[in-house]
Amino acid sequence: MALVSSFALAEPQLTNFEVVRGEEGLTVNFATRFDLPAGVEDALLKGVPLYFVAEVTLMRDRWYWRDRVVSHVSRTWRVIYQPLTRTYRVSFGGLNQSYPSAAEAVSAVRRVAGWKLADPGQADAGDGYYVEFSYKLDTTLLPRPMQIGIDGQPDWSLHLERVQRLAAPKEP
Amino acid sequence: MTKASRWAWIISLVVATGAALVLSFLLAISTNNRSFYEQHYSWLFWLNLTVAALLMLVIGIAAVRMALRVQRGKFGSRLLLKLAAIFALVGVLPGVLIYTVSYQFVSRGIESWFDVKVEGALDAGLALGRGTLDAQLNEVSHQTQLAAERLGDLGVGETRLLVLERLREQMGASDVALVGASGQVLLSVSSSTGLDKPERPPITLLSSARSTRVAAQLEGLDDDGSGAPVAGSPPARIRALAIVPSTDVALATQERFLMVTALLPATLATNALAVQSAYREYQQRSLAREGLRRMYIGTLTLTLILAVFGALLLAVTLSNQLVKPLLLLAEGVRQVAKGDLGVKQVFGSRDELGGLTRSFADMTGQLSEARALVQRSVAQVEAARTNLQTILDNLTSGVIVFDREGLIDTVNPGATRILRQPLAACRGRRLDEVEGMETFAAMVWRRFESHADAAEAGDRGHWQEAFDMQIGANRDTLSLLVRGALMPQGARLVVFDDITELVSAQRIEAWSEVARRLAHEIKNPLTPIQLSAERLEHKLAAKLEGADQAMLTRAVATIVTQVQAMKTLVNEFRDYARLPAAQLLPLDLNVLVAEVLSLYGTAQEAGTLVFAAAADLPLIVGDATQLRQVIHNLVQNGLDAVAERPGGLALVRVKTEAAYAEQGALRAVRLHVIDNGPGFTDKVLKRAFEPYVTTKSKGTGLGLAVVKKIADEHGARARLMNVVVTDSVGAEGIPVVCGAQVSLSFSKFALAPAHTVAASTDTAPAH
Repeated sequence: MALVSSFALAEPQLTNFEVVRGEEGLTVNFATRFDLPAGVEDALLKGVPLYFVAEVTLMRDRWYWRDRVVSHVSRTWRVIYQPLTRTYRVSFGGLNQSYPSAAEAVSAVRRVAGWKLADPGQADAGDGYYVEFSYKLDTTLLPRPMQIGIDGQPDWSLHLERVQRLAAPKEP
Repeated sequence: MTKASRWAWIISLVVATGAALVLSFLLAISTNNRSFYEQHYSWLFWLNLTVAALLMLVIGIAAVRMALRVQRGKFGSRLLLKLAAIFALVGVLPGVLIYTVSYQFVSRGIESWFDVKVEGALDAGLALGRGTLDAQLNEVSHQTQLAAERLGDLGVGETRLLVLERLREQMGASDVALVGASGQVLLSVSSSTGLDKPERPPITLLSSARSTRVAAQLEGLDDDGSGAPVAGSPPARIRALAIVPSTDVALATQERFLMVTALLPATLATNALAVQSAYREYQQRSLAREGLRRMYIGTLTLTLILAVFGALLLAVTLSNQLVKPLLLLAEGVRQVAKGDLGVKQVFGSRDELGGLTRSFADMTGQLSEARALVQRSVAQVEAARTNLQTILDNLTSGVIVFDREGLIDTVNPGATRILRQPLAACRGRRLDEVEGMETFAAMVWRRFESHADAAEAGDRGHWQEAFDMQIGANRDTLSLLVRGALMPQGARLVVFDDITELVSAQRIEAWSEVARRLAHEIKNPLTPIQLSAERLEHKLAAKLEGADQAMLTRAVATIVTQVQAMKTLVNEFRDYARLPAAQLLPLDLNVLVAEVLSLYGTAQEAGTLVFAAAADLPLIVGDATQLRQVIHNLVQNGLDAVAERPGGLALVRVKTEAAYAEQGALRAVRLHVIDNGPGFTDKVLKRAFEPYVTTKSKGTGLGLAVVKKIADEHGARARLMNVVVTDSVGAEGIPVVCGAQVSLSFSKFALAPAHTVAASTDTAPAH
């Protein structure tokens, strides 16, 4: 913990984002780099669960209407501090994992590899596909009074986005 | 504002207010109900904000409208403003009071939740739990390390299940296992009957044990943040891992660990979790305290705003409703005060105010009817008055009305004309104060008094009397027939007619009768007298001689002459009294005049008589015989008048002329006889046409009377005037008279120029 907070806080950034077209369809790899701001970490220490949400949407251009959503996947991680055992628990779906420090816990939610976005053939119909990616600290899942309290504070506004066009598949 | 739009306003207002109230209720509830408010707080908040903004807009519009009305001084706006302000005050004040109290309550209350003692207690509780757990952990790891060292002393070979089982029982653990370097379970014993092997230790624990010889961790003490253990998770336990020291150097390549799993007491775990949960909850709340305060106060403020605005709108609406009939009434009263009694609006409600407006409308209607009635009767009175005035003005009789005090109240032009006094200017004065009216007034009052005294039943209310009075500068005698009557309220009416003419006519009539009888009586003996005288002369002339005969002859001549004169006189009387009815035939006046004038040859030759005949004289209708006499009389009168003038200067002119109106229509044919004699005195001039008025010593005074009478029968107008010297003013401002003129205007004409009745052989005697 002391280690993490002693780091100079860097701007959150998306260090890696790629969409891979493989045999199993489209998969997404991404990696982010950010540190928990002091206010957020303080809240975490006081037992407030943090929710990190990553969303990827595969879209297809439509000139005559709003673009069509081909596929949409999202992941939500919940990070919570357990003062009794001084551990940080990360929940993802039904999986729980405990970490002894906040930095380790956060590093567990910062990257995903091989995240399946679409089935094979779903994005093969020529051009016009693009992928919208967003990664954020979701404050809407926080307790409501807290939302009001932190409304507009820069510490809590972690939000990374990327839009990437998909290259047309190579003809076999 | 029409009725429909007013209703629309009211309905929308009620709806808006209701919605606002419901929303604020929901808002209030949702702050209590966590899950509900978490879902809906946001949109509820914004919806309320929108409603508040709408209400504010409406109120702003209403306020601006009201301000404009007040500024323009629109009727009733002040009352509306006042009522609205009162209602608003009533609505807003309690709201603000409650708000203030609640605000204090909320902010203080929230702060009071979080105090240092509670936080310290929670911290202490957590530390206590943590300490207990740590003590357990240390104990287990210490025992595990001791056991591992003992195992190491025994050596690898002797490590058997039995040893492990003994260790487990010594330590009171649930599982004891020997695991390899990579964490694989080599040997294990368990307190449970299940055959399943214990889990492999986590890698982190393994590496930590490798470096520090012993490591332990708590497992299964997780919660999901709600304070209860995660369902389905294994019970809380301590897992300790200690490296087993190897005494056998040759075989030291194989690292082995002793893994002990000890269950934590269930109550301890539960209590620890509860403490952790409470701590977490408290910390969260404490973190969110500012937000919570803002939320509560925001809700409160919003509710206040909604309530206040609702109250304001209701105030405006209610005061509008309340003021409406009052305004209607006040407007009506103002209109009535201005005199407008038109139909008044009625407020269509069944309460007292509505009844008031209805009664007012009824009252105004009745007033209006009454006024119309009054106006009608006034108009009628006015018309009657005008009628009466017209009648009075055109009455030839004189009318004077005296009021109760005897002052002149009403005088008609007839009275002014008859009395020759501008009585209209003497209103409000007594009649006897008017100059010249003293005798008249005295007579009238005397008569009224005697009438009042008499008060006979038959002619009560009026009396009648003929009365002569002297009037004007000439002291002319005026004959009046006066009639008096009492009018209501003590007023008195005097009506009088000028009967001077009537009296004159009666006098003439009487004279005619006298003349006729006298002539008859006198004429009869005249012929025997004359004959007797002539016979006397005839018989006695021869018998007498000398002076006697001459005396006889002279006496008889005198008798005959006088008898002749008497006859003439009598004939004139007869003629005047008994003129035959005129036979009107067309005739040429010029011819008639020339014929008559031929009898005066000598005068014409002497140049004393001159005839100037107008050319193209229209024919008139008339009796030639009578007209001949008229001309005769006039010419003779003229010659008589100029008889005393010296020979060459005497002149009598006879002139005819035709007078035309402006449009060329024939108006009159005139005959003028003008002499240059001495003329008439004023007194004679006025009465010259009456019988027996003459300037001549020997005249009977009947000549002009006959002329007048004949002229009357012919419908002609006879005028007599003095000819004055132009531009000459004699002594005392009276023009110098240089002759007299008699004019006859004939206005009856023969329609066609028929044959002229030229002349008749019958010539009437001149005098």
